[in-house]
Amino acid sequence: MSRLELLTPEGLRIDGRRANELRRITAKTSVFSKADGSAYIEQGNTKCLAAVYGPREGRFRQQMQSDLALLNVEFNVAPFSTSERKKRTKNDKRSLEMATFIKQTFEPVILRRQLPRSQIDIYLQIFQHDGGVLQCCINAATMALIDAGIPMIDYVCACSAGCIDKVPVLDLNNVEESSDTPELTVAVLPRTGKVNLVEMESRLHIEKLQSVTELASQGCMQVHKVLDSVIRENTEYLRDRMNA
Amino acid sequence: MTTLESNNNNNNSKSFEVFHRIQPHEYLRRFLEHDIRPDGRLLDKFRKTLITTGSIATANSSAMVRLGGTTVVCGIKAEVCEPHVEQPGQGYLVPNVELSPMCSPKFRAGPPPEKAQVTSEFIHQLFTNSDLFPLESLCIEQGKAVWVLYADIVCLNYDGNILDASLLALTAALSKLKLPKAEVSESMMVEADVSNPTQVFEMKRIPIASTFCVFQDPHALLSDPNEAEETLGKEMVTVVMDTQGQVCHVYKNGGHSIDTQVLKTCFERGMERTKEMATLIQEA
Repeated sequence: MSRLELLTPEGLRIDGRRANELRRITAKTSVFSKADGSAYIEQGNTKCLAAVYGPREGRFRQQMQSDLALLNVEFNVAPFSTSERKKRTKNDKRSLEMATFIKQTFEPVILRRQLPRSQIDIYLQIFQHDGGVLQCCINAATMALIDAGIPMIDYVCACSAGCIDKVPVLDLNNVEESSDTPELTVAVLPRTGKVNLVEMESRLHIEKLQSVTELASQGCMQVHKVLDSVIRENTEYLRDRMNA
Repeated sequence: MTTLESNNNNNNSKSFEVFHRIQPHEYLRRFLEHDIRPDGRLLDKFRKTLITTGSIATANSSAMVRLGGTTVVCGIKAEVCEPHVEQPGQGYLVPNVELSPMCSPKFRAGPPPEKAQVTSEFIHQLFTNSDLFPLESLCIEQGKAVWVLYADIVCLNYDGNILDASLLALTAALSKLKLPKAEVSESMMVEADVSNPTQVFEMKRIPIASTFCVFQDPHALLSDPNEAEETLGKEMVTVVMDTQGQVCHVYKNGGHSIDTQVLKTCFERGMERTKEMATLIQEA
């Protein structure tokens, strides 16, 4: 069985990146008219769309809380997004797990006390799956929430990192994820540097944990720069149109 | 003086919005009396249409269509399976339209909404009944293996007329579909040369759907209704025509009765639209 060389001796990965290089990020906000806020992100070949509706009246009256806004996240993978067609139902355990991660990531960041008795819905859709889905979703959700004007403490920027042949690498793609590469996803609040989410399902030697986590955090800062520039550009455009 | 005037103007624009909210029928009627629609279109104008193909690399073929605000993505994945016993030489096309809560606040989470199921079935019937492309071309080996094309159509933003947009996306994706050459080996395994997809899918005729909304008071026929017009309209008529000038499918679900003259207008407008869209698909 031939083993793919994920990291050549010269330090190049399968797609030609170096160990600490992020994939190219393209981001756009306000892509749809019906949603209160929307964003589209491409990280390498992973394409993710986020739509935010809210704050709006909740669906179930009994679940409404008198002092907080309720956050509801739905995660959906399009059947044509993976190399083998997999029609995942919405209530699939994996999808629910992802949705819960994202919900728990954003609950402390959104200033929910300012919007009591309401519901904020975040819908995430993956169009192309090439690794780094959780980080892509978190980044897209952040941009969509900002686009919807929902008050938050800070951006939430996420990045994944792993360890190939004892070398920490940043932002794994699908091929690297499917081989036995340990993968760690970290979501960070850039202004304070505080970590919001850490997710790892594989085995990683404890001595490597520190360096991989640090690398991921640095990746988050780079992601933050990109997202912030897109948001600022959009806001300037809006401001110019308003003043015109 | 100027502040007073601008205050008045503000009040006027606010009262427009209030009127639109509390009396949507009357609001639309006032526009229709002057042969124009609230978004500025003439009654027979379709919204600006954009088609992009090939954006999804994991799908065998993909297309994204923007019909005004309605945005739809279609991804086609081809798999191999055994053919139906009664049709051993035919493959399948399985369309599936998804209308999730993401695209509009109208749709709630849960089982697929009625509209999605109706649209999926419409497209399925269209391809099965009219001879748009021969399902025999999907056959790998008679009785043993055929291609099944799963067409997943995901709506991203819903602003009316999902039917036209879905069919357009599916047709555009099919026109760019390339399947690998496959053959059944002795061990009953199907081998396909995935690295070199050469078999271009031939669409004999390109079907284009045109949907119209019928209003009774005043008598008006609106092409390509947006969401607001759809909810207010008395009746929807869809006409599917192909580039050779033939009618593939007419759909009017029996709500309100309409004039034959109105139906004729539908066909005429449908023909124009078909010609425009066919060129757009070929250029995409």
